[in-house]
Amino acid sequence: MSTEVPAGEGKKDEQAEPLDVLDPNVTRFELVKEALRRDGVEILHYEPRFPVPGTKEEKRVVRTISFFFVLSGLAALGFIVAYIWWPWEYEFGGADTWSKWYTPVLGALLGIALGGIGIGILTWSKKLLPVEELMQERHDGASDPVERRLTGATLVHIGDETGVARRPMLKRALLFGAAPLGLAALMPIGGLIKDPGDALFTTGFNPKFNGGNPVRLMREDGTLIRPEEISVGGQITVFPAIPGGATLKHADSPTLLIHLREPDAEEARNNAYEMNKGSQWENLIAYSKICTHVGCPASLYEQQTNRLLCPCHQSQFHITNNATPIFGPATRALPQLPISVDEEGYLYATSDYKVAIGPAFWERERK
Amino acid sequence: MARFIAALAFVGATYTAFSPGIYADEPTDSALTLDEQRGKEIFDQSCISCHGPDAQGVEDRGPSLIGVGSAAVEFQVNTGRMPMARQEAQALRKPPMFTPEQAAFLGAYIQAIGGGPEVPEDVDLDNLEGADVANGGTLFRVNCSSCHAFSTGGGALSSGKFAPDLHPASAVEIYQAMLSGPQNMPVFADNQLTPDQKRDLIAYIKYIQDDQAQGGWDLGAFGPSTEGLAIFLVGIVALALATLWIAGKS
Amino acid sequence: MKRRKLDVKQLPAKAAGELDDRFQLASPLRKVLTKVFPDHWSFLLGEIALFSFIVLLLTGTFLALFFDPSMTEVHYEGAYAPLRGIEMSKAYESSLNLSFDVRGGLILRQMHHWAALLFMAAIVVHMGRTFFTGAFRKPRETNWLIGVLLFWLGFAEGFIGYSLPDDALSGTGLRIAGGIAESIPLVGSWVSFALFGGEFPGDSVIPMFYILHVFLLPGLLLALIGVHVGLVFIQKHTQWPGPKRTEHNVIGYRMFPNYVSKQGGFFMLVFAVIALMAGLFQINPIWMFGPYRAEVVSAGSQPDFYVMFLDGIVRLFPAWEIRAFGFTVPAVFWPGIVGMGLFTMLPLMYPFLERRFTKDKAHHNLLQRPRDVPARAGVGAMALAFFIICTLSGANDIIADKFNISLNAMTWGGRIGLLVVPPLAYLMTYRICLGLQQHDREVLAHGVETGIIKRDADGRFYEVHQPLAQPDEHGHTSLEYNGWTVPKKMNRLGALAPTLKGFFKPIEQPAPKPEADGEDGEVGDGEKREEITAGK
Repeated sequence: MSTEVPAGEGKKDEQAEPLDVLDPNVTRFELVKEALRRDGVEILHYEPRFPVPGTKEEKRVVRTISFFFVLSGLAALGFIVAYIWWPWEYEFGGADTWSKWYTPVLGALLGIALGGIGIGILTWSKKLLPVEELMQERHDGASDPVERRLTGATLVHIGDETGVARRPMLKRALLFGAAPLGLAALMPIGGLIKDPGDALFTTGFNPKFNGGNPVRLMREDGTLIRPEEISVGGQITVFPAIPGGATLKHADSPTLLIHLREPDAEEARNNAYEMNKGSQWENLIAYSKICTHVGCPASLYEQQTNRLLCPCHQSQFHITNNATPIFGPATRALPQLPISVDEEGYLYATSDYKVAIGPAFWERERK
Repeated sequence: MARFIAALAFVGATYTAFSPGIYADEPTDSALTLDEQRGKEIFDQSCISCHGPDAQGVEDRGPSLIGVGSAAVEFQVNTGRMPMARQEAQALRKPPMFTPEQAAFLGAYIQAIGGGPEVPEDVDLDNLEGADVANGGTLFRVNCSSCHAFSTGGGALSSGKFAPDLHPASAVEIYQAMLSGPQNMPVFADNQLTPDQKRDLIAYIKYIQDDQAQGGWDLGAFGPSTEGLAIFLVGIVALALATLWIAGKS
Repeated sequence: MKRRKLDVKQLPAKAAGELDDRFQLASPLRKVLTKVFPDHWSFLLGEIALFSFIVLLLTGTFLALFFDPSMTEVHYEGAYAPLRGIEMSKAYESSLNLSFDVRGGLILRQMHHWAALLFMAAIVVHMGRTFFTGAFRKPRETNWLIGVLLFWLGFAEGFIGYSLPDDALSGTGLRIAGGIAESIPLVGSWVSFALFGGEFPGDSVIPMFYILHVFLLPGLLLALIGVHVGLVFIQKHTQWPGPKRTEHNVIGYRMFPNYVSKQGGFFMLVFAVIALMAGLFQINPIWMFGPYRAEVVSAGSQPDFYVMFLDGIVRLFPAWEIRAFGFTVPAVFWPGIVGMGLFTMLPLMYPFLERRFTKDKAHHNLLQRPRDVPARAGVGAMALAFFIICTLSGANDIIADKFNISLNAMTWGGRIGLLVVPPLAYLMTYRICLGLQQHDREVLAHGVETGIIKRDADGRFYEVHQPLAQPDEHGHTSLEYNGWTVPKKMNRLGALAPTLKGFFKPIEQPAPKPEADGEDGEVGDGEKREEITAGK
């Protein structure tokens, strides 16, 4: 297009008389200018990038753009080839494993293919399209006052025609009809609503999940636990030994069982809240693993300092003092699970947690 | 050397690294073997200032080593954590002062006078073929990833302490660390995690460390934080430069 | 043969004619073709988000072919050995298969995730541009509101997408979301149960999130993006002040071919950057996290960056729980629900608040440089500082670990920083803006510093200034500031030879050296020299 246009400063000529658009002798550029004029666009500056076609410079630009398009095509072909023939199936290995480079190779080739097209088009736009600066009127703001008045009157008239204002009974009846209908439309969402009941107050250690009998502790693989199987200064994650006790069905139940050293256990016993008295079994102490802040597993047990850190929001709990929070955003101590050892020598929970585990909620003290 | 001893004394005052007396046995009276004798010589030269004669510990300096076992000694010495160089929130891994052989002598000596956990001889940690990597992964996620992170790259603990990166640790060192619970790490003795489970666990750690990241550079495997950094430093910066080029006058 | 060729040439015109016969397209089409768009690099930032969204739709459709949003437990038997035989949800299994057992699945998953990050990052940057330049003022408040909503929709859509693979990291995120939901007074536990279909994690959250993620939220996003872009089109883009530019015109280039070709090329570049990042940088390696289990967590668990400010403020907020009459308002309610409510409402209200304070009810189509509205720039800097501190605190454990800082110190640093830094940012930005304003006015009055130091007869040194217009008898020029860049360097005035274009070698010939003009033969000597000495 640009080459057809006679070169020249695009300063809009003041046209004395409107252009005769249908005159066959009018040039195309004159038509374009006329179109712009009619659309409220004024040309401030317009010049073809290469007024003389076929210069060395222009050929150079054309070659550059072509290069990027061709590069893009080659990379896209490479992408197809790599997609089909590059070994892709996962295998263990170091950086010399071919399949590890499948994704990087695809990404690089796709990136080059897309980028090549992009750079090509942009170079075309920047280097070959005419330099232009145009000015268009905005016509923003309110509509014409006459229009506004006419439309306003029409609207009010339509309102009058319905007669809602004159017939208050209809208005009320419609309101009565529509409001319940709107509510009725919301009802299906009610299918999502479930009564929490006491679910938040019980865990898998509640005897109700074990036919009323106390629940034993188990590992994630289902094996029961004897007290001597936990190292001094060690910790283990335990679950209620009920069907599905270690699954997400009982996501509120994971418990951290810690074997304290003698002096620490003594300290913990002395510090125990009234509620937690007798919950320890010898030097073993069990706390809910679900953080009382927002429920992450608080499981970073520091066996020398006896702190328990939650990795999500850095709440820190003091294990030998009822797991009270000593730092961070958590406000409440981790609930302690009362444990003992049965006649067969396995650890079990003498009762469920005595307070709701996990994050706080409005009615958590109303149990 | 004097400065070094002074530093040791200074450090020992606040440092309690070992779980004291967990595995305390009656000290053996039998005469030491040659290896144990060598260990004692090294001990009397380099460790005695903090850990005291016969490793009984020195109050406010260093804990008793009776009952810590050879696993703890070899772990601490071979990873360069012992002897400590200066006071820190926790002992750092550094080039070891002693050769593995010397560390073994030291371990043998401490084992001889106090007993304690040792790496069982029938566990093959040099060749992890045949270990159940998937089981190891499960154990890793339950027991280890909360501190050492999913990528084994380590993580922060309270008040400046941290769980170290596991990449430099050898299979035997990981085993010893689980046995002895160095510093704030909980103890995972062989009665809690069986030697086979430990081997699975180590095999998993080594697997994910030796497996080249799938799908490009892992950005340090820190999770979403470095990904967020990358989208601004790479994505937004590259495209902002592109906008400058696109809108620039030519 | 000849006739047929002619026909082919006439075909487009004929088709156009047929179309116009039916739809009367000529004049509306021409209005679109010749619509004028202003040109500035900062106007392209929003497009990054738009184009990322298109990439998200494309890659997301591919992922949906393979993803199974089911929480049924299965045993993994795929290619990734360390997870083989492990029990996991179908959602996680299908995400793993997408990464390991579908050819090219991993790169599309990574493209989807990087595009999501780019979408949100571009929204943040674009929002900053709109804010600092006052582009949200009348008549564009509606588009600002839509923009803020788009951020929050993107936030929700992104968080839900991050939850779908059901790996341990995303499950941890869900657990936190559940904990925050539970903190709502009165109805918290009911909200949480509705969300999870029972006690966390339930068995319905993934299917529910899936339909939200692939249908409801993208539909809303698409609709709002359509309105957002449509309003820009109808109301015409704002422009920077400059020669001839007024509130009532728009100066730039036409939609076709200039604008559209640049947009098309830029779309390809955005797409390319996403593809490159997806190929070269791993993102969200779900196979490393393992399936979600309630007892599993990794050190350094974080959400994606656009949720990190929420996580950060939850980390920083002190343990202030209200317990009264047997009821509890958990501490996390304040940052998690009230805080997020404020972060939504304050930006939504900002245009109206500003209008109230400035009593400026006029139409504005010209942008403002941030320095010209120091109070707004200060507020923006304050908000940005707040956002950045919250976001950094969202990664404070990683920062603590990698830079050997105490974790507790990081938390306290964040808490104090959150109170101290934003006001400081306001004050500093305010002063910097005033300083920049003053400098502009000074240059307009006295001219550009030339770097030429002169010594006068009584030994005083002074720098020669190049005035920007003919100075009066005091050496001052009475140029008015027009809200646009004031030239501050001599080469901006054309005093130095312009830089030659071209990257490695010049693509244009250097301008011919001016002939030694006349008597003394010095290049560039002449009127300019004389002018310089005039200034002071």
